[in-house]
Amino acid sequence: MGAIQLKDIRLQEYDLDNLQLLRELRKESMAAKPRVCIERARYITEYLKGASGDLSDDSKGTSNEPMEIRYARAVKYFLSHKEPLFFDNNKLAGTTTSHPFGAPVYPELTGLTIWPELDTISTREKNPLILEKSDAEKLNHSIFPYWMERNVLEYTRKKYHNPDCMKLFERIVFFIASKSGCISHTVPYYRKVLEKGIEYIIQEAAAREKEIRGSNNSSSKACSADESKRSIEFYQAVQIALEGILLYAARLSQKAAELAARESNPKLKENYRKMSEVCSQVPAKPARTFREAVNCIWIIQIAIHAENINMAMSPGRLDQILYPYYRRDIDEGRLTIKEAMELIGCLWLKLNDNTNLVPEVAEELFGGAGTVPAVTIGGVDENGEDAVNDLTYIMLKVTELLKTRDPSLNARYHYEKNSEMYRDRVAEVIVNTKSVPALHNDIVDIEVLRNQGVKIEHARDYAVIGCVELAAAGRSYDASSSIMLNLVSALELALYQGKRPITGDEQIGPVTGDPSKFQSFNEFMDAFQGQLKFLIEEAIELNEHFGHSHQEILPTPLLSAFFEGPMEKGQDLIFGGALYNSSGATHIGYADTVDSLNAIEQVVFIDKKCTFAELVKALQADFKDNDKLHAYLVQRTPKYGTDHPVAIKNSQALIQFLYDLYQSRVNYRGGKYKPAYWSMTNHAGHGRLSGALPNGRKANQVFASGITPASQAAGDLSTCLRAVGSLKSTCIPGGEALNLKYPSVTGEEDLKKFSQAVEAYFRFGGLHIQFNIMSYETLIDAKNNPGKYPELLVRVSGYSAYFKDLNEAMKEEIITRTAYDLRTGKAIPFPKAK
Amino acid sequence: MFESIMNLITFRSLREKLLRKRLLDSLESGTAEGFLTLLLNLMSLVLLLDKDYRQNTKDFQGKYLFKSRDNSIVVSTQFKNGNMTIAQKAINDPNIAVIFKDSKALMNFLLSPKPDILNSMLKQDITLDGNLNYLYKFAYMATHLRLMATNALT
Repeated sequence: MGAIQLKDIRLQEYDLDNLQLLRELRKESMAAKPRVCIERARYITEYLKGASGDLSDDSKGTSNEPMEIRYARAVKYFLSHKEPLFFDNNKLAGTTTSHPFGAPVYPELTGLTIWPELDTISTREKNPLILEKSDAEKLNHSIFPYWMERNVLEYTRKKYHNPDCMKLFERIVFFIASKSGCISHTVPYYRKVLEKGIEYIIQEAAAREKEIRGSNNSSSKACSADESKRSIEFYQAVQIALEGILLYAARLSQKAAELAARESNPKLKENYRKMSEVCSQVPAKPARTFREAVNCIWIIQIAIHAENINMAMSPGRLDQILYPYYRRDIDEGRLTIKEAMELIGCLWLKLNDNTNLVPEVAEELFGGAGTVPAVTIGGVDENGEDAVNDLTYIMLKVTELLKTRDPSLNARYHYEKNSEMYRDRVAEVIVNTKSVPALHNDIVDIEVLRNQGVKIEHARDYAVIGCVELAAAGRSYDASSSIMLNLVSALELALYQGKRPITGDEQIGPVTGDPSKFQSFNEFMDAFQGQLKFLIEEAIELNEHFGHSHQEILPTPLLSAFFEGPMEKGQDLIFGGALYNSSGATHIGYADTVDSLNAIEQVVFIDKKCTFAELVKALQADFKDNDKLHAYLVQRTPKYGTDHPVAIKNSQALIQFLYDLYQSRVNYRGGKYKPAYWSMTNHAGHGRLSGALPNGRKANQVFASGITPASQAAGDLSTCLRAVGSLKSTCIPGGEALNLKYPSVTGEEDLKKFSQAVEAYFRFGGLHIQFNIMSYETLIDAKNNPGKYPELLVRVSGYSAYFKDLNEAMKEEIITRTAYDLRTGKAIPFPKAK
Repeated sequence: MFESIMNLITFRSLREKLLRKRLLDSLESGTAEGFLTLLLNLMSLVLLLDKDYRQNTKDFQGKYLFKSRDNSIVVSTQFKNGNMTIAQKAINDPNIAVIFKDSKALMNFLLSPKPDILNSMLKQDITLDGNLNYLYKFAYMATHLRLMATNALT
């Protein structure tokens, strides 16, 4: 697999001047204004209202069909009515929405949160989305009212009688339970549909259904009547939902043929004719060519979003999945490298054709993210051998040329198996794009998955979900963003005996004692861990409630058909059908929490510079009139990211505590909870809502991102990499995001150092690393003059975003992230304000 | 009979104009005192006078309770069979209860130029108990009213 046949892995002869199609499509993509698309919401609602009565109660309505089948029919109804649209000269047929750049509405999830903005969303200040007046009226009068009692959040609230865990979630400042918003964050399995086609999968489901019916009639029943019934329903639902994809593809084919017949430009005519031909083959039948394979994947992506929200549905290891088709076409002279680049570029741009729909205040606090479909390249294959191939380099080149927000490209690197040539090329692309791809450590990632019970060949075939999370691609359903927990909130609850400054006098957590009376640091750690345990248990309880609600009202037969496990078990993904199951819980404010623990231990219990009461008083006053203590906390206390033993001890202890706690819990699908440390933009939003901390961070300042040390805390690059890399990686099964910044990387020597720093970090044991190659000054200028940097792409905490789209706090966090001088390995001081 | 109806319509139209002006003044000056009653009364009148706006309450049933944290303000409103009723007292089993720190907080929450539901929750100026979708709908109606009042509807 790993044989490289390209003469030049940099593909230097190609650029956007001789890839005119990509230049043109990129220009259009960048210029496209996002529009709200109600097509899906309209058809799904229309079907459920008209044909099936009440979504959440089988006893009402005109149909008594089980939800699994009813929902499959709704998805099929939508796909069979979905408009086949061709907006541009892209070589791939199909669009996620009815607009060139659309935000689909998912009213069963969080769609109703934009209800108050129906009149203003087109003109709002932050990331406006154009909404046609007629569409707003449809949402207001016929779509949203239907879902008022039926979306996941309200269904769950009613079913569990507005439980305390839900009330706590709705305070927002403790944890976010993402399941109210989606079944998402996963990597489907595309190999089967490419090799066999959807008609085969439908036939397989029909045969399995028949087999169960047969065994039910025989005397030897292997499973209970209930299980058999559910399996039969599942197989029926798979057939129905997949038929919807076939109908959509057929309409695409027909429409393309019509356009070809009308088109006078020979080149465009041929493209339409070809698309028509491709869609008459895939995804119904096996892909025969590279173009068919790429278009097949794209149509399945669209179809998955007909059923599930557009959030981190990640295509996975495309350089591996598509390689056989590429190789065959190249070898047989059906494809040129340029054409392959065009097709990959077309797919990259298609993956950018949709965005999320969120209310403005969510944009302000947490905004700027795309839909984060992650593509993974490189690493080793299932046999543990170098998997880097020509397509890996083609994908790197296309990424380098297009510099688009999505897909979120992730390069796996196995320092024993992959070549330095590959490593250095990835580094070069990062430098040239200034931010992508992110790098993942194959050796450690595989070990982490093995530790979670994943078979070696499946672990080696891992792919990245959304930001940084690891999946046994197409085999594990990880729901990796189920919980996002603010660690600082637990710290504040411990400091204020179960209360937080932002929630005032309300008793939120248990009364864990007055810190001023603690005689040792361990007593405070006990209090902190008690509060943390309380929050985690609340978050898990709510996630379980949401999981059960999903099982009852939002099954996923379509998505399940593209995984290993559900078809074999006769079980929907949401019921645990995948080979491996887990729920991810990521943490916000890790570095600030660790540094605060360090500061308390050092200042109160070791140096005895102040009493605990004095410290808490200073925090409550946001260090007003207490400059001396503030300076001491900032400058003299142990910092995570250094080799100070207190910092190392506390950083390890927190990781271990969270790992032990989460891993002891089993989710509703029979999988474990997996702690993680990536924060998207939440560290900025939550930072704005938190009081002053013992590490000297003042109130309302942003937290450090992911697992990254706090800004300016770690002065030496190699020490920082060692400290982070030495965290016990098997205790971080949900993934981590380490963000580094270099002001510039110029010349071969710098590039070599850049690569070597990555390798050193991986040899220390780090899981993931990503970069922004830009100086403080550039970022400050970009903040002050957004018009000068319309396409400035930055890595946030696990994904890419256009800097201009980020909220102010997030911009500030990226600006203030420590920048290191690659040559000296030292942190560059933040420029003093002029 | 016809004259009485015309008088009633004229009276309501005049009253609607008056309430609209008072609401605008209130928004402009930031004077929150009494704004909730003003908003609900205006909403009720516009529902009677504007058939497009009235569509918002077609087939809609919802009970809302608004109360200040110190219980000094307690107002409820109910939508049923196309009618809207307002009472200066609590209501049983509301679909959503909105508990606000003070009138200013509620005004910011419902009628600031940006619908500020999430932010108000973050700042804990407002706490909610019940089905949030009812509040989203109400916030839409309130925003729409504000835009109508300021001739800002596109």
